[in-house]
Amino acid sequence: MRKLLLRLTHLLRRRQFDADLSEELEFHRALKQQELEDRGQSRVEASFAARRALGSPALALDEARDVWLWPWLADGVRDIRYGARMLARHPGFALVTILTLALGIGANTAIFSLINALMLRPLPVHDGGQLRFFGSTLATGSTGFTPNGPTTLFSHQFFRDFRRDNEVFEDVAAISSVLHGVSGRVAGAGFEKINVELVSGSYFHTLGVGAIAGRVLSDTDDRTAGAHPVAVASYSWWQRRFGGAPVLGSAVSIGQRTYEIVGVTERPFSGMTVGQSPDLWIPLAMQREVSPGWNGLENTMFQSLHLVGRLKPGVSPATAQSATNVVFRRLLTDYVGAQASPQAAANIQRASIELIPARLGRSIVRLEFSSPLTILMAVVGLVLLIACANVANLLLARASARQREVAVRMSLGAGRLRIIRQMLAESLLLGASGAGLGFVFASGASRLLVAVVSSSTEPVPLMVRPDLAVLAFTLGAMLATVLLFGAVPAFHATRLNLVPALKDGGSATSTPGRTRLSRILVAGQVALSVALIAGAVLFLRSFSKIMSIDTGFDKRNVLVIDVDPGAAGYQVDERFNAMMARVEQRVAQVPGVRGAGFALFVFNGGGWSLDTITIPGRTRSPNDHPGQVELNIVGRQYLDVMRVPILAGRGLSDRDTASSPKVAVINEMMARTYFGEPLPLGRTFSVDDDEKPESRQWRDVEVVGVARDAKSRTMLERERPAIFFPHAQHSRYFLSSLAVRHDPSAASGTLMPAIRRAVAEVDPNLPITSTTTLSNLVDDSVVNRRAVAELSAVFGLLAVVLASIGIYGVTSYGITRRTNEFGVRIALGAQRRDVLRLVLGETARLGAAGVACGLLLALVAGRLVTTLLFGLTPYDPSALAAAVLAMIAVALLAGYLPALRATRIDPLLALKRE
Amino acid sequence: MGREIPDLLPGTLELLILKTLGRGPMHGYAIAQRLRELSDDVLQVGESSLYPALQRLLLKNWVKAEWGASENNRRARYYTLTPTGRKQMAVERQDFDHLIFAIQKVLNAT
Repeated sequence: MRKLLLRLTHLLRRRQFDADLSEELEFHRALKQQELEDRGQSRVEASFAARRALGSPALALDEARDVWLWPWLADGVRDIRYGARMLARHPGFALVTILTLALGIGANTAIFSLINALMLRPLPVHDGGQLRFFGSTLATGSTGFTPNGPTTLFSHQFFRDFRRDNEVFEDVAAISSVLHGVSGRVAGAGFEKINVELVSGSYFHTLGVGAIAGRVLSDTDDRTAGAHPVAVASYSWWQRRFGGAPVLGSAVSIGQRTYEIVGVTERPFSGMTVGQSPDLWIPLAMQREVSPGWNGLENTMFQSLHLVGRLKPGVSPATAQSATNVVFRRLLTDYVGAQASPQAAANIQRASIELIPARLGRSIVRLEFSSPLTILMAVVGLVLLIACANVANLLLARASARQREVAVRMSLGAGRLRIIRQMLAESLLLGASGAGLGFVFASGASRLLVAVVSSSTEPVPLMVRPDLAVLAFTLGAMLATVLLFGAVPAFHATRLNLVPALKDGGSATSTPGRTRLSRILVAGQVALSVALIAGAVLFLRSFSKIMSIDTGFDKRNVLVIDVDPGAAGYQVDERFNAMMARVEQRVAQVPGVRGAGFALFVFNGGGWSLDTITIPGRTRSPNDHPGQVELNIVGRQYLDVMRVPILAGRGLSDRDTASSPKVAVINEMMARTYFGEPLPLGRTFSVDDDEKPESRQWRDVEVVGVARDAKSRTMLERERPAIFFPHAQHSRYFLSSLAVRHDPSAASGTLMPAIRRAVAEVDPNLPITSTTTLSNLVDDSVVNRRAVAELSAVFGLLAVVLASIGIYGVTSYGITRRTNEFGVRIALGAQRRDVLRLVLGETARLGAAGVACGLLLALVAGRLVTTLLFGLTPYDPSALAAAVLAMIAVALLAGYLPALRATRIDPLLALKRE
Repeated sequence: MGREIPDLLPGTLELLILKTLGRGPMHGYAIAQRLRELSDDVLQVGESSLYPALQRLLLKNWVKAEWGASENNRRARYYTLTPTGRKQMAVERQDFDHLIFAIQKVLNAT
């Protein structure tokens, strides 16, 4: 310890130390000389003899100094100091190199930090390896039918019973599969959006997450429906909303109830979903209060919960798996009870729960982006390779400029390894500076990346701040890079023939090996660039094909406005229906608005599907299952607003009231598949619903119109049967999305305030939670495709820029080296045209070789991206041709500039230089 | 011509320096002189081994160094044995004796 301190002090006081030691050595030498003089030698003789006797003072100084440093550090420090001096002497070279590396490493770090945040980082929970999700947890919302396959949504009844009966889990927690974005008031302030996650009282205990202030929820907070108005705040919301001020006991009003904040969770914890960040956790017992439009704790068939359990220590996953399914099927059989048909019993035997490791949490964003990000990681890896080739080329060029220096040092006895190490130290310095700068780039870029992967309305809450994993990645990338670009030139530079290198000032001697090597590097760059451009073009074209898919509705000039009726105290009843109708009417009267209609789902907002449709005269076939029917409840103007054409019959209208006969509009697909005729007007159907079997509103519904097929959830979905019910006849859920069609000329800046006023006239307390446009929703549904297209284009461009720098550099260097040759050619009468043709011909050959390899690479790599392409194959000739042509053009341009210089060589000057 | 000290067993030079300093503070040149005299000119020590050895001793805290005035009034760095150094000298001495004894045994074996 003391030694360490001494060594460190020495490091800090090096200058003083060296001065002292030099003085001491000089004193020693003076006395020695005195001694020799005393013995009768002359002064000069004595001075030499003293020096000879004592050996090199520089060596003594060096070795004395080394005692204080760890030996490897001492050498390293010397190498690096020397390297720094060399780089400082060539600032242009250093700058270009460091910037190139920073771009390459920065791009890699940025993509990696996203991958890390989304796919690699474990949740900040206690011993996450023991946690298991029940099923994939990819489905959200609720289902109302008896499970008949792999299941992931469960009822509250099942959760309680399973928790009681299970023997393999220490504890099990339930989480509402939907994050409730509610409008609440904090301590009496105005409405603001608060993300509420409803969880069972066992949630925090199961995950092993504690409170940084106050307490977390426990079983006693989740006993009686409606009786536990308490909430736990997330650390990040506490910081954001309260600036970290004391918050315990604060009141948050949501809907008709006021919740007391009883605690704040530990810092990094933000729930089990990566890419979602709840502000408050509220006991599931308060479901009806938080979500008046969608709830059903007491209903065995309202299956809306995700479950996560902590395995008991020593229980193997296989044991847990089978034990869980035994309990699951037994409980399901109990629920179905005496009325169980053989069909239901068979369903239950097919029902299963797959236990999925929950260490990394669940994430919809991960699902959407894991393959795009993997591809982008490969893309930036290739960009880094291209950058390495550039730097290696620069180092090669410099190495031949330094041949003389290396030759001098080697002839003075410096070992080859010593010089290689020295050159590697220089590379390390370059690499480290590049990585450092790249790291800075990346922290800026990763925030941009989050924006690219986010929808238009709000950014995905992802923690992309660099952590240890990212740091380690950058360090690893740096070391790999240094080895890649540094090793070859270093070995190359020391493999030289000393005599000619020393004799001749190193002006024109360049080993042919070097030139060949750098041309291979450039050809490699061209090849990788071609592959990257081809990929970018493929992604861009497939994205534009997706964007030109016919949605079946007209996405232009439609605003989509979300309201929160629950926050304004509405229940699902007649009063609510009347309010909706008035809002539709009032908004439609706003100048510039053509029409307004509510819908349960507009587009890309999820959906509700069933396959339990009964049509008189048709037997339900088991094949109905894959063709699930999309249900929507809409305001009477909605289909007009969306411009979904009615092909036959009529649309929904004012005549369809709660007391009039039940009607619906179906789409073409529904007509074809379920009714077996294109226009089944006047025919009836019923919807069987396990969830609310008592409900009569789905019986004997008459088809009054057939609408054109339209997309409902994503751009890429297949056409599905769909039914639109008038909301006047179906009070069951809140319809909270209002679609508003406006004139193309209406400025959204004035339109939105007018619409807000119109809504406020109907009910001043009805909060508007978000506003967006229909075309934004369409874009959002393919945000991962857009991200891949945009980012691969950016990186493809970067690759091309780097490759063109490479071509420019190697051509330019070749011309400098061959100044004499060109001088002679011009002196002998070569025309500019001839010189230009000569140089460009070489560049073209280089480019052609690279392009050929790149084409092969693109064809091979293309197979890996097939899943991300739409409407074209990876062998799309136009994309490949575009890449080839673009690269050849860039190569010729990059070669043209130095070639032009070659034509301007003055033969006299060139020959004089010889 | 005498022997350069680094040819000896490792650590020997340090031991000899400690022994020399046992008589009191000395500067580097005086240490070299003293070693030569005591060994009848057999042991020659150059700057390039003496000063690194002194640095090693400093680092181990067996000696300490202070600037003072020399006989002819020049600034010189004087090295003094620390209490640890004095103790260590005995230990090192014993080790060294053991080692020499062992070497002798090997060489004398028939």
